[in-house]
Amino acid sequence: MKILVAVKQVAALDEDFEFRDDELDVDEDFLLYDLNEWDDFSLEEAMRIKEASEGEVEVVVVSVGPDRVDESLRKCLAKGADRAIRVWDDAMEGSDSITVGRILAAVAKKEAPDMIFAGVQSSDQANASTGISTAAHLDWPHAAVVAGLEYSPGASKAVVRRELEGGTLQEVEVATPSVLTIQLGINKPRYASLRGIKQAAAKPIEEMSLGDIGLTPADVGADVALSRVRRMYVPPKGRAAMIEGTVAEQAAKIIAIIKEYKGE
Amino acid sequence: MSDPREITRILFENFQPQAIYLFYAFGYAAIAVFLYGVYTQIRKYRRGQPDPSWGGLWSRFVDMAKTMLTHRTLKRRDRAAGSAHGMIFFGFVLLFIGTSTITLEYDILKPLTGVTFWYGNFYLWFSLVLDLAGLGVVAGLIYMMYRRKWLKLPKLDYTRPDRQPGDPDFDRSGYRREDWAFLWSFILIGITGFILEAARLVWLSDRPTVWDYRMWSPVGATLAHAMQGLGLTPEGASAMRGALWWFHGLLALTFIACIPYTKIKHIFTASASLMFRDPLAGRRLPKVPEEQESAGFKQITDLTWKQLLHLDACTKCGRCHEACPANAVGAPLSPRDVILSLREFANKALNAKELPEAAELDIHGKGVGQVFMETLWSCRTCLACVEICPVAVEHVPIIVQMRRKLVEDGDMEPILQKTLQNIHKSGNSFGESKRKRAAWTKELPFEIKDARKEPVDMVWFVGDYASFDPRNQKVSQAFARMLHNAGMDFGLLFEGEMNAGNDVRRVGEEGLYELLASSNIGTLQSCDFKTIVTTDPHSYNTIRNEYPDFGGQFEIQHYTSVVKQMIEDGRLKLKKKLDYRVTFHDPCHLGRYNKGFDAPREVLKMLGCELVEMGRNRDNSFCCGAGGGRIWIPDPVGVEKPSQNRMKEAGAIEGLQVFVVSCPKDLTMFEDALKTSGFEGKFVVRELIELIDECIEYEVWEEAGSEAA
Repeated sequence: MKILVAVKQVAALDEDFEFRDDELDVDEDFLLYDLNEWDDFSLEEAMRIKEASEGEVEVVVVSVGPDRVDESLRKCLAKGADRAIRVWDDAMEGSDSITVGRILAAVAKKEAPDMIFAGVQSSDQANASTGISTAAHLDWPHAAVVAGLEYSPGASKAVVRRELEGGTLQEVEVATPSVLTIQLGINKPRYASLRGIKQAAAKPIEEMSLGDIGLTPADVGADVALSRVRRMYVPPKGRAAMIEGTVAEQAAKIIAIIKEYKGE
Repeated sequence: MSDPREITRILFENFQPQAIYLFYAFGYAAIAVFLYGVYTQIRKYRRGQPDPSWGGLWSRFVDMAKTMLTHRTLKRRDRAAGSAHGMIFFGFVLLFIGTSTITLEYDILKPLTGVTFWYGNFYLWFSLVLDLAGLGVVAGLIYMMYRRKWLKLPKLDYTRPDRQPGDPDFDRSGYRREDWAFLWSFILIGITGFILEAARLVWLSDRPTVWDYRMWSPVGATLAHAMQGLGLTPEGASAMRGALWWFHGLLALTFIACIPYTKIKHIFTASASLMFRDPLAGRRLPKVPEEQESAGFKQITDLTWKQLLHLDACTKCGRCHEACPANAVGAPLSPRDVILSLREFANKALNAKELPEAAELDIHGKGVGQVFMETLWSCRTCLACVEICPVAVEHVPIIVQMRRKLVEDGDMEPILQKTLQNIHKSGNSFGESKRKRAAWTKELPFEIKDARKEPVDMVWFVGDYASFDPRNQKVSQAFARMLHNAGMDFGLLFEGEMNAGNDVRRVGEEGLYELLASSNIGTLQSCDFKTIVTTDPHSYNTIRNEYPDFGGQFEIQHYTSVVKQMIEDGRLKLKKKLDYRVTFHDPCHLGRYNKGFDAPREVLKMLGCELVEMGRNRDNSFCCGAGGGRIWIPDPVGVEKPSQNRMKEAGAIEGLQVFVVSCPKDLTMFEDALKTSGFEGKFVVRELIELIDECIEYEVWEEAGSEAA
């Protein structure tokens, strides 16, 4: 029994960031990297199944990205994942989420898991499509935005509760193997202590390249991407302003603004 | 004068040989039971981990002897109990030496060499000293009974704040029964001893070598006269002596046999505990060995032998219970109960011949003898318990070691988890960008040197609160102006400074602490400076006491002593005097942790303030509640916080104007508590730096500053 957990190292903005000269992304100097918040929950869900199961359950985390991603994978190992795989080839640079799904599907074919968990979305790009496209490439059933899961290893189906609009839940039966994208709050992720992370440094991270998963440079990268970033920018600030001062002063300012709008 | 050889007490006088054999049989049996008990206790301690406290045995012994002979630790904050204990202790020691002297003559010297010495003047002085010793023991015990029965001291109430009525270990009535059994059996031994002495005098009242010297046993003689007055005849006294002799003798032997199995063992365990005390306990927490797989204490056998010994040293005196700020506000923690729980656990799990399964050694949980998670997280590591314990029990290191296990398992408040992750990511507990650490300096009309780029005399380690908290930034700016004005050559580490790690370590996140400590040590070592000054007592403690374990040997001072020196040297000129009525709150990490009691008080005096002490001051200062990472965990709503409790204490000072603190966390905690406890407008909370700032005029740069603006 094996659960594959797809994780991503996301970028967060530092204070006072600047854009790259080509205006397609934020300057790397102003980015702080960390594991995607959703992935904490999907890994935790896999760990809970592993710990509740009497049989052997292997939790394998996989991520697509360069060397720096090892740090996030190590955090997953510290939390108890059995193995970690990092897939990278310079040709993968610029891949869109559909292509990342293709890469993950190729890893899944090799690993043959019984379940694949992914986060609903990543906090930096927010496409919310990597998990689902993985299912599509594998031709597996999927359920998105899973906020509750009943599944015992080896079962032919899982019962999931999907979070919909207005606080409603939809209980769905899904055949396995399948891909589930896990929503925040499904569980309480555990803490990876720094000692744990340090000790996980001794555990190997398996590296896979294009050839290892049976893909060629023509299958990945910016060239096959179906979408392309044209520009990244901060929109001009709105005209909201905090009116300060005593009540009388505030009232006077408001009157002045109204008059201005009325053109008086 | 009779032949001095006849002035003595004939042992076993008028006893049949069989009776003497019987008594010796009982004696050997008692010693055997005693020795077996000692063996099982030592076996228990040996089941703990190794401890590095074996060094300097002789100086340890001298310290222990001094503490015991002066009863210094026992008299603190409870003079009467300490003195009563002193009477029992010294009485018992003298009686023990006396009995051993008799054994030496009767059982060893006389049968082997025929030498005797227990007669004549020696015997008479011996009688007098032991009579008074016995009187001391009985008087001391009577006071102890009085105090237990009538004083109704909260610290002697064994009811636990972390258990509910109905729980099997809620009120520990067993301990109460044991206390009384101990007091009664001990006092009965003393009283029957005196009656026995008196009965012998009455019985032998016609023998001049006994009767004429009776006043050398004043207590026995007084009793003998009283008994005669009541009509006791020598024959009656003889019969009485026979029965009472056996009662007294067997009770005393039972008492000896019981030592290793009951609270009486504190005679040995408390002495040993004092001997192996760690003067830096809690101030410098133990490292986790690199090769050790999991951090912290999970099982009772993870404690070191010394810690297992500490558990047995506790005499339930309740001083820690009384001093604990968490306990004072009703949190589910009493340091006493943590120690007693673990002791009960150790006695259950480690006294048997075979060690139980690992699962039965787990000290975390909700069972009897296990310690609750909430209990461990209630601790503020203020060290009040360790500091007051008369027998050197070190509670805080045990609590932190147990927290290390909780942290490893992720058993903590989500908000604490978030803070630790923030510290890991950004190096500060505010989760702010590293680049903003020195943002507070931008408002100053002068540049502060970057100690990473140029040599300085003094590196100022600012700490998180003084760097990022807006209220504390004002204080940091004032201190910077002060140093600049005094012409001090100082610099900052800017974004190179990380959270010093003191509280991270006390939370139990040892891995993160190692990361922070080694990062700061690396940064500091790459700088050229003479000393470090810090405005943060928490950073002060860990840099001073803990960084050396990680290779960081630095000279560090808290700002209070630096400022005191600056005023004394005349580098800092005070332009006016303040006439405030103030009280001073000792920060745990400056005061109790590092004995920095005097510098802030002297500075207050130089400023002209009238200092009125709160009841709990200096080593008994009451924690603001922020220590041990508790500043990152909100206190429960609707329950008094330690800081509010402290405000009430300050509020009771008539005409108080300023509550002075010298720690950024104190400023935050107490300004908040001032509002929530209803003292706003009555007095204010101020950093000592702010008061000094009031006395200095910065005409020169204020002009320069406004020009620049």
